[in-house]
Amino acid sequence: MVKLDYKHRQAGHCESGVTSNLLNYYHFQISEPMVFGIGAGLFFSHLPFLKMQHAPTTSFRVWPGMVFNRSTRALGITTINHRFRNPKDAMNRLNEVLDQGIPVGLQVGTFHLPFFPPEYRMHYNMHNMVVYGYDKETYFVSDTLMEPVVEINYDDLARVRFAKGPFAPQGRMYYPVKIPAEVDFKPAIIKGIRKTANNMIGVPFPLIGVKGIRYLSGKMRQWERKLGPDKASYYLGQVLRMEEEVGTAGAGFRFIYGAFLNEAADVLNQSWLREISFEMGENANKWREFSYLGSRNCKKRGKPEQSYDFLADMLLEVADREEKIFRKLAKIN
Amino acid sequence: MKESIDKSEHPDDVPGYCYNRELFYGFDKERGFTRELSYQNQSNQVIIRQSWDALEKRLEQVQEAARSGNVSPIVYYMEKMLMELPMLSAYMGLNRLLVRWHMTPAGFRRLKPPMLERYARLFEITVEELKKPGFMNK
Repeated sequence: MVKLDYKHRQAGHCESGVTSNLLNYYHFQISEPMVFGIGAGLFFSHLPFLKMQHAPTTSFRVWPGMVFNRSTRALGITTINHRFRNPKDAMNRLNEVLDQGIPVGLQVGTFHLPFFPPEYRMHYNMHNMVVYGYDKETYFVSDTLMEPVVEINYDDLARVRFAKGPFAPQGRMYYPVKIPAEVDFKPAIIKGIRKTANNMIGVPFPLIGVKGIRYLSGKMRQWERKLGPDKASYYLGQVLRMEEEVGTAGAGFRFIYGAFLNEAADVLNQSWLREISFEMGENANKWREFSYLGSRNCKKRGKPEQSYDFLADMLLEVADREEKIFRKLAKIN
Repeated sequence: MKESIDKSEHPDDVPGYCYNRELFYGFDKERGFTRELSYQNQSNQVIIRQSWDALEKRLEQVQEAARSGNVSPIVYYMEKMLMELPMLSAYMGLNRLLVRWHMTPAGFRRLKPPMLERYARLFEITVEELKKPGFMNK
């Protein structure tokens, strides 16, 4: 039996929370927003041709695994990443690593997670959690979404690690192995901000970043006419679910990113970043308002301030705000 | 954010998901960025519910189609497990075209017991239930 002295802390976003908790286990103090910012987690894309649960995909973050990989690399931390072909190897390797006294981050699918709230049970393969010990067939799990620490048995764990479908985890496990004694946050933060700014305003493709928000706004105006009221409201609901539901800490990660900018202002000693972080906070509140009015629309309360045109205008406003913010952030040095 | 947003009137809402608190970040001008544990707010509950309502609607349609002999029960159970064709074929380790064939009543009738067993295990039901789902008798 192995049970490490791992401190479970809840987090807004599963992957940055897991990364921050894993690093904190080695007494490397780093907060969740910091990981998210350095890992350049903020993103936007709307892909109407890629359907998830019968509706177009809207994403507010980068691909899974990127936040962990980018943030640790930028900080000079050596990590190990594994993928496996068959469940048995994956589980054996997990046990070996735990025996060495290392807590392990896992990418899993959420559908068969027994402790997960039933409301969230869908085939979402980008969830992350930490296993910090085992006793024969029982594994001790710290899931940043859940309030208490939880347990899972061998079969279930093997199953969720080999969930199928888009972004299949393939038993992916990861953990830091070597943390340098002296870490300079400054270059890492600057690099992370530049990367995010580039993702949001520098990609010459209309479905990504600020342009993606405008594109979604344009699409939204057509939904009711093209798809009929039911499907339109379902599509809108899907956007809102991606924005608010699982592990975004609200407003599609905009709050978390604002908190990161706020922290970065202290570390870099640049007070203009604090002003921008407040702008980001205002912007996040705007997103919140959007999701609030949108959800009223989903309940079919036909007021003019909940119509698709109104919501689309709101998105345009948000896009303008974000463009302004990232134009300023891109000039950081 | 306006104050009225938090204290919205949702008299007809049954509270849905409220047994696990999550961490939320927030912002206002006086306090700056905040972190707090709370349940999903009402407007989020609405959109969470919406997806489950949509699923139920889809299931009813599929039941109707299965009863009238247009599709096989596999389609029903696939929808019930929130799967789509590519995912089902990945879980079964079968070609998509083959799975699509099994989704037709003719293809389903010709399924051999071992294959039925595999589908049943994936859907977490018995072979009997797979062959004759409860809603077929209505």
